[in-house]
Amino acid sequence: MKKKASLLLAIMLVFALLMSGCGAKSSPAEATGDKNAVKPLKVALILPGKVDDVSWNQAMHEGMKELEKDYAGKIEVTYSENVYEVSNIEPALREFASQGYDLVIGHGFQFQEPIIKVAGEFPKVKFALGTGFKTLANTAIYDVQLEDGGYLMGTLAGLLTKTNKIGVVGGADVSEIYRGHEAYKYAAKKVNPSIQIQELYTGDWRDAAKAKEGAISMFDSGADLIWHSGDGIGLGVVDAGKEKNKLVLGNVADQNVLAPNNVLSGIVYNWNPVLKQIVDDILNNNFENREDKHYWLTVANGGVTVASFHGLDSQVSAEVKEKLEQVKKDFADKKIEMPKFDK
Amino acid sequence: MQSDVLTVGFLVSLLAGAIRLSIPILLPALGEIFTQRSGILNLGLEGIMLMGALGGFAGTFFTHNLWFGLLCAVFVGVLFSLIMAFLSITVKANQVIAGTALTILGTGLSAFLFRAIFGIQKLPPQVESFQPLKFPILTDIPVLGPIFFNHNILVYLTLVLVIVTAVVLEKTTFGLKVRAVGENPKAADAKGIHVQLVRYICVAIGGAYAGLGGAFLSIGFMSTFLDRMVSGRGFIAVAVVIFARWNPYRALAAALLFGGADALQMRLQAIGVPIPHQFLLALPYVLTILVLVSVSKKAEFPAAYTLPYTRAER
Repeated sequence: MKKKASLLLAIMLVFALLMSGCGAKSSPAEATGDKNAVKPLKVALILPGKVDDVSWNQAMHEGMKELEKDYAGKIEVTYSENVYEVSNIEPALREFASQGYDLVIGHGFQFQEPIIKVAGEFPKVKFALGTGFKTLANTAIYDVQLEDGGYLMGTLAGLLTKTNKIGVVGGADVSEIYRGHEAYKYAAKKVNPSIQIQELYTGDWRDAAKAKEGAISMFDSGADLIWHSGDGIGLGVVDAGKEKNKLVLGNVADQNVLAPNNVLSGIVYNWNPVLKQIVDDILNNNFENREDKHYWLTVANGGVTVASFHGLDSQVSAEVKEKLEQVKKDFADKKIEMPKFDK
Repeated sequence: MQSDVLTVGFLVSLLAGAIRLSIPILLPALGEIFTQRSGILNLGLEGIMLMGALGGFAGTFFTHNLWFGLLCAVFVGVLFSLIMAFLSITVKANQVIAGTALTILGTGLSAFLFRAIFGIQKLPPQVESFQPLKFPILTDIPVLGPIFFNHNILVYLTLVLVIVTAVVLEKTTFGLKVRAVGENPKAADAKGIHVQLVRYICVAIGGAYAGLGGAFLSIGFMSTFLDRMVSGRGFIAVAVVIFARWNPYRALAAALLFGGADALQMRLQAIGVPIPHQFLLALPYVLTILVLVSVSKKAEFPAAYTLPYTRAER
């Protein structure tokens, strides 16, 4: 009896672990028949979440898919989803590196330590890290200047609020999220010095119910506009806006369809320019001798854009739109000045 | 800033939030009271809740009927908890390990099934969730109205279930059997009570409640399913049961305390009290530990707690 039980448990555990680790699948974009073509660059993209999270991972997945189309025959991409725990990251990196991949991309801050470790063991393989600060010769970091996005959203919120109270909800205050929040507050105060800003971190990226409750508390206390800095929790903020019939600004993807009467606008990421540059640099042998090891997604290079107002267009006055366009132009001309928000 | 805390509006918002956040802890806790009273520790609540959240969402999504969705959540919860019952009662496996395995399984399986059913979507599928009820007159009472009379129907249903649970456990023959099985299965068996059957039923009841708790998150409070959306509430529910010393009314108070702590820390963060938010975020969990340390001495566990029953052993 005891044996049977432990066997059953063992089977269940294995099954469960298999289930939670599932999702790695490859879609080799086969170089179609062209025998003369040079061997395509083999790229592995490791995502910490799901490709349809309406956020961080989805934006990256779409940017990569686009590049795959543009560079058909030149690159071959394998996707791996839901590699979230640090204990799973290192083996995944090592596996791709030892299988002859030319470029391995770890899409998230938690990939930093594992990449530094594994990159040292595989000097011929190139690694790209999504946000961080440590590099080796064969690694680089790509990051989003969310301070640009935060600045745009802060400008918008500061100009549009009627109650003079706005809010911002984020997951954890790590690198780009922190910079985005600080720039949001900075820009809102700049256009509206008497504004009151409420800020909340939920501490994780998945507890949408908590984020919703947090957003409700802000709306209850009089805020009429909230920006969220993305991921699963963002859906909670959108839901709160819908329930309280207040305005919400999104992040990463255009979320208007989630609540057409409440999602006013938002920041949309387009990873394509950054990915393109990384791949170009590798193809041109420019990757390792770059001085700046950072690739930035910015307003200027079209990586950080503002979603359209859709059906809520009439709620935004021409003046505000003009102001927003001016800020975008100033970003392109590098005329925006704000303090460096570093932790 | 301090003046913001002491306003009526702040308190109203806080208490209403405390009630909303306590429900997904209270529901699984009530079910777990049945389970534990019968002598089974079910640590798989988190996994069952996730499966219930998914079941409730999928049921509603395809039929556009919230009540059918709720029924699906209960059904899935019962079905999933029967794995726990089989492992702990029939094959007498270690309950801590079986429960942990169930949580891991539920986490992975719910994410997997969600992807299998709904595919890769550009935007998450959504349903119209249970909306807050509007009572004539009551909802418009200042202060009390927004705190007590502006919630969705599941909140009131849960409060009714507190009383139902207490009455069934304390005033019915079935409740007596449950307690007998949890305290002294041998004596219960000698009295002709089918120990295994009673325990199966109790684990299944726990599964039904946990499924409801999951559905409260996916189709009651939110309107979609997200991976790991239960976020540890299943484990807090187990802590609540012990804190409440297996009493449904005390469980209500405990769940309100935890929900209130969470609602409070978020509001304090939002208005910008000068405490690092990491400390505020930890508040509900620190509270859990403190409370468990203080009451664990007083708690009298069911005598046959986590002990499998077999006639052959003595």
